[in-house]
Amino acid sequence: MSGLETISPVLLARLGKPDSRAIEGYVADGGYASWKKVLAGAKTGEWTPAKLTDMVKASGLRGRGGAGFPCGLKWTFVPTKDKRGDKPVYLLCNADESEPGTFKDRLLIEQDPHQILEGMMLASFALDVKHAYIYIRGEMVHGAEVLNAAVAEAHAKGFLGTDILGSGIDLTITVHRGAGAYICGEETALIESLEGKRGHPRIKPPFPAVSGVWGAPTVVNNVETLCCVKHIVDRGADWFKGVGRNEKNTGPKLYAVSGHVEKPGVYEAPIGIPWEQLLAMAGGVRGGRKLKAVIPGGSSAPILTAAEIAGIPMDFDGIAAAKSMFGSAAIIVMDETTDIPKAVTNIAKFYAHESCGQCTPCREGTPWLLKMLRRIVNGEGKKTDLDLLLQISNQMGNGMTICVFADAAIAPVISGITKFRSEFEAYVEKSQKPTFEQGASDDLTNAIANRTAAGIHS
Amino acid sequence: MAKVTVDGKTVEVPNDANALEACRAAGVEVPHFCYHPALSIVGQCRMCMVEVEGVPKIQASCTVPVRDGMVIKASTEKALAARNATMEFLLINHPLDCPICDQAGECKLQDNAVAGGLPVSRTSEPRRQFPGYDRTEIGPHVIADMTRCIQCTRCIRFCQEITETGELTFIERGGHTIVWTHEGKALDNDLSGCAADVCPVGALTTKEFRFRKRVWWLDKTRSICDGCEIGCSLSIEHRDGVVYRYTPRVQPAVNDYWLCDHGRFRAEQLNELDFTKPEIRVVGGAERRQTNWGEALDAVKLAIEKARTEGKDKEKISEKVIVLGSANLTTEEAWLLATLCKDSLKVNSPEFTVGLGPRRRIRNKKDGWLYGTEAAPNSRGCEAAGLTRAKEGGTSPLSLLLSKKSSSSPPAVLYITDAAFTERANDPEFVAELRKASVLIVHARTRNALSEAADIVLPVASLAGTEGTFVNTKGRVQRVDLAILAPPIVRTSLEIFLHLGAKYGAFDAQWTARHVFDRMKASVPGYAGLDWDSDDLVGNPPSVSPAAAYDALGLNKDADVEVFTRPSVAAPDRKP
Repeated sequence: MSGLETISPVLLARLGKPDSRAIEGYVADGGYASWKKVLAGAKTGEWTPAKLTDMVKASGLRGRGGAGFPCGLKWTFVPTKDKRGDKPVYLLCNADESEPGTFKDRLLIEQDPHQILEGMMLASFALDVKHAYIYIRGEMVHGAEVLNAAVAEAHAKGFLGTDILGSGIDLTITVHRGAGAYICGEETALIESLEGKRGHPRIKPPFPAVSGVWGAPTVVNNVETLCCVKHIVDRGADWFKGVGRNEKNTGPKLYAVSGHVEKPGVYEAPIGIPWEQLLAMAGGVRGGRKLKAVIPGGSSAPILTAAEIAGIPMDFDGIAAAKSMFGSAAIIVMDETTDIPKAVTNIAKFYAHESCGQCTPCREGTPWLLKMLRRIVNGEGKKTDLDLLLQISNQMGNGMTICVFADAAIAPVISGITKFRSEFEAYVEKSQKPTFEQGASDDLTNAIANRTAAGIHS
Repeated sequence: MAKVTVDGKTVEVPNDANALEACRAAGVEVPHFCYHPALSIVGQCRMCMVEVEGVPKIQASCTVPVRDGMVIKASTEKALAARNATMEFLLINHPLDCPICDQAGECKLQDNAVAGGLPVSRTSEPRRQFPGYDRTEIGPHVIADMTRCIQCTRCIRFCQEITETGELTFIERGGHTIVWTHEGKALDNDLSGCAADVCPVGALTTKEFRFRKRVWWLDKTRSICDGCEIGCSLSIEHRDGVVYRYTPRVQPAVNDYWLCDHGRFRAEQLNELDFTKPEIRVVGGAERRQTNWGEALDAVKLAIEKARTEGKDKEKISEKVIVLGSANLTTEEAWLLATLCKDSLKVNSPEFTVGLGPRRRIRNKKDGWLYGTEAAPNSRGCEAAGLTRAKEGGTSPLSLLLSKKSSSSPPAVLYITDAAFTERANDPEFVAELRKASVLIVHARTRNALSEAADIVLPVASLAGTEGTFVNTKGRVQRVDLAILAPPIVRTSLEIFLHLGAKYGAFDAQWTARHVFDRMKASVPGYAGLDWDSDDLVGNPPSVSPAAAYDALGLNKDADVEVFTRPSVAAPDRKP
């Protein structure tokens, strides 16, 4: 399809320029033209929030944060003025990029902050937002400095503030630094954290679009999504739709490729390019080795084997068809030298560390998985451990918890064990543990496994 | 109201109920930890998992608002497997130290594990411990042990939403999450004991009750707190004549699920008993000697009659014999006393005073905070029954005494029906003023300056040995049940008045509080038409455990709890 032809970078176009962060350079490159255009059009009635929302809807833009929810549709969930009364609408830019393997937003934040701000301005216009926030991950100290400087510049130039450029429209943007918790990237936890509380995900419904930060309608969008909004207004919905594999996967996309490739980094390509093409962009597998496995969407995506990922279009639906997740397009490449049990243990360690502690299955389950995996890779595994790991994993996810953190935590464990079971078994075989204990507890475990839940309760 | 079907049974529940409450209404008990009817819903223990028709994923029932026509499947294999999973997760790091845990017997984790947990553990990993966060006092009354905590946040929400003091918080995260006080703060608020009540496990316990009695040995009797005028419903928990603790008894109109620390920790005072026999001093004698009731009551009558017949102003009996009531008396006692004074002794209406203590408060969902400054439970009931409240600056004998003005002529007999009728009963100056009476008669349970000074001491029982009604600050008439019988020789004020009245042919000594209640209710304002056994008077039964308090919607009462009520003594209902 023509949509997959190589494009010159859009989102990353200004990267590497000496003044890529300064507002002068941004304006010289045609920045804020869309914002000026929309502000001027708002007075004449040429531009209305509905028109902008329809444009984003028509572009087919799907959220770049991980879930891939259609961005325009999300915006329409915000109650109209007569329904929400005096409540303001808030726009939150989710810059809490903390998924292991993901580093695309950081690049945008540190190199081209005004692109994000303009996207936020346009989205704020569409949503009737007077105050927007950027929630940036605590560790990104430099990024927060860059964003704060950019916001100050935009205020100084009159692109933010009250009665912007004489349009009668007000908008303030505040940069808020998180405290470094992974879970605060989850939109309701982000809202709680922004409110000054512990970053605990909320029970949904109500959804943020109805009751979000401080009980007001709230839209949370990813950094890259908002950047896309800017380019949609710049170039039109049809252009955006023309890029990408099909109607459901449109636009340019940033791929954060890491791991065993020659040239790890962020690559921009039309969404849905074939896996091989993306791998080639990153210089292929390191040292000419064989590909073993790929985590296609950040650490919470199920691992795909080399055979499974062959020929797959790298977009939301393409990877979902392979029973994994496109997520934030953080592609972790693992070559033949990779020890999968150790890799899975490493990921499990991250999730055990980052669980917020709210829901029992996740709070207790993630450390349990880690303890067992550590035992296995330390040569103290038992034969029954692998099945027990799968059983525990299965009773953590799928609605057992408030948010999908537990589902994310179990995905690498389940996929790792089912797809690379022999590697785990090899560790267990080598186990140094005395057999007496092993046999005794195996019997017990089997006895329990054979009992039905109903039987226990009766 | 919404019609909801739970496991095939259809029930009607209020529209703002949730699926968990609907299940309870249908008689399907869904185990839970973090849900508490008075606290906000957080849905984080993930214990109350059920299936809801039309919703693909399993749901925590407390987080699902009901809607008309909803079909809940609470007992499917999927739901039970989910609950088993949560139980397993909760138990893999729990110390399982029930034998040395004070919560055992009223622990929801223990109950749910017994009811539906896995029989053996699948974990072989080392259990998590929190060195430094176990067996630690986090406030004046509460001891925390985080190895037992299941992170349900009930206590955190209690401190945020009920007392609005917010001392407690989560510290750390994930598997390291503990509940602790904010740095440098203590769990020190006027309701702090309730934080231990709402704790479903042994993570928070009260210092006062910890390790004093295994809870399954305790008998629970309905009573009313006598710490102030608010009149919180509570359960006196006792064993073999000893009171061990109070727990709040659910009363949506007054104290909801709560009890303040001032009231709660008065429980042990009930065990104080300094007088086990009547004591009497021969006129002019230095020491009192113990005696029997016959002689003691004869002496009381004799003193009063002597005052009546001797002296020059035979008509002025009312000034020579002064009887003082007390806001600690039950309304029945107050009515007997008022009637006795009016009809038999023919003296002025007994006066009473009520001390103003620090302001106490309790909270319920409907009224918000209720406040009480009077340090006694029944000033309103006493007034209704015919006792007179002493006015500040008044000219009545008690008013004069309280304003430290000596009355011109001390009374011949001063009969004080409660040695603790005012906090000044320990003030030597005040007692000296009272002591000017020729004969000083006192009802007393504990020793104080007044009881030491008295000529005749009549031993009376504590609240636990009393039966009757109190009228609280909102005008609610509430019943106090007899929890423990006082030692054989000790009587209640009610019995003393009855026996005294019997000497004048006014009362039958066999009457019980209930008989008195039935006799007086027509003439006492606020009591007309009340029924001794009505729900309004009796209140709710005690909960199985403070943590298991049933919900305010009244959807389900703890039917299993055994209420300890002494059978009323069979007494002839006759008028002498």
